[in-house]
Amino acid sequence: MGLENLKETRKQSITVGFLFERNKSRLKLSSINGEVGFEKEIRDKNIHRPGLALAGYVALFTYDRVQVFGNTEMKYLHHLSLAERIKVFETIFKFEIPCIIITNDNKIDDELVRIATERGVAVLRSQFETTKLVYFLSDFLDDQFSPQTVLHGSFMDVYGIGVLLAGRSGIGKSEIALDLVERGHRLVADDVVMITRKGEGILIGAGTDVVKHFMEIRGLGLIDIRSIFGIRSIRFQKRLEIAVELQEWKQDADYTRTGLDHGNISILDVEIPHVKLPIFPGKNITVIVEVIALDYLLRHYGYDAPKEFSKRLDAAIAEKSKGKRAIDYFEHDFE
Amino acid sequence: MIEREITIKNRAGLHTRPAASLVKLAAKFKSDFFIDKDGFEINAKSIIGVMTLAADQGSKLLLRFSGEDEEEACKAILELFESGFGEP
Repeated sequence: MGLENLKETRKQSITVGFLFERNKSRLKLSSINGEVGFEKEIRDKNIHRPGLALAGYVALFTYDRVQVFGNTEMKYLHHLSLAERIKVFETIFKFEIPCIIITNDNKIDDELVRIATERGVAVLRSQFETTKLVYFLSDFLDDQFSPQTVLHGSFMDVYGIGVLLAGRSGIGKSEIALDLVERGHRLVADDVVMITRKGEGILIGAGTDVVKHFMEIRGLGLIDIRSIFGIRSIRFQKRLEIAVELQEWKQDADYTRTGLDHGNISILDVEIPHVKLPIFPGKNITVIVEVIALDYLLRHYGYDAPKEFSKRLDAAIAEKSKGKRAIDYFEHDFE
Repeated sequence: MIEREITIKNRAGLHTRPAASLVKLAAKFKSDFFIDKDGFEINAKSIIGVMTLAADQGSKLLLRFSGEDEEEACKAILELFESGFGEP
């Protein structure tokens, strides 16, 4: 019940049309041959610059990637005669290319567009220079093909730290989230949290489009946090940094007493701190969650409270000082 | 662990009222109960989770039970799905 054995999913493909729609304003894209080839699928998150393939070397041509024609490719094509250009294009179009993107708003011959159209391949053009386009497009494709999973819990931004409250159904995650919202923290998602791995070491969480910032409180039903508490009480996405697992107090369970032995948990192969928090009536979990976030911030900036305490203890042992008062001499204080 | 595949029978699909009766019934059992729809898996003891599925008539769902009373839980939940939540 919790954070182990998560089911990992990832998209197998996106269509060229989807790529175009999502990026046309962001990447200043236009389509030269209308909606031709929009149904073709892209299955690889990498981008390819087909310089060598244009020069005739196609042995290692990664044709199934998005093909980006930068200044190098276009200048090379233009130093050839039209007949040679057509021949080059016919060679690379023997392969199943998903789409072509021309950068720098470069011009392309109508004859070449016609060949692409005949083969049902979209020719897109961007006003961006190649490095900029490759940067943004790689980031987009990386996100589209990144591994995802669904977590059951409440996901909060507490003092800027992304904290996931996990634990069995009915243990009170939503109630704690509500309490945190009341104290000025922000809800990202409740009950269904979609986690995506961004790059190699970052987890980003968001809600689903159906649920947004609705929440169920037992005995009350569904409530809308955004309508009740306003825009400051929510956010749409947040980096996941700590997992707090709420557990029923068990006499014989092994809870950390020093904090030196905090475990980590691996979510989509990213390790994040994992705090197991026993709960019982009368314990103010909200404040503890705030302190967990603040303590994480302290550690992030290089101060580890348990380690500092441990160092002091070592020093005291070395000096053979035995539980002395912190103040040597109490002066008068009759208030 | 028990796994069963079911199809949504009633015309209106797994809308708010059936979702509520499903989670109410699920809460009576100790076992964990998950539903998978097209690779998207949610905790079926959460009303928000079940509603997120937005399962319409004909949707195929994979039910997964695990825990001490999984047999009883599976039987009761399957009956509820079979009945179409008492709807046409």
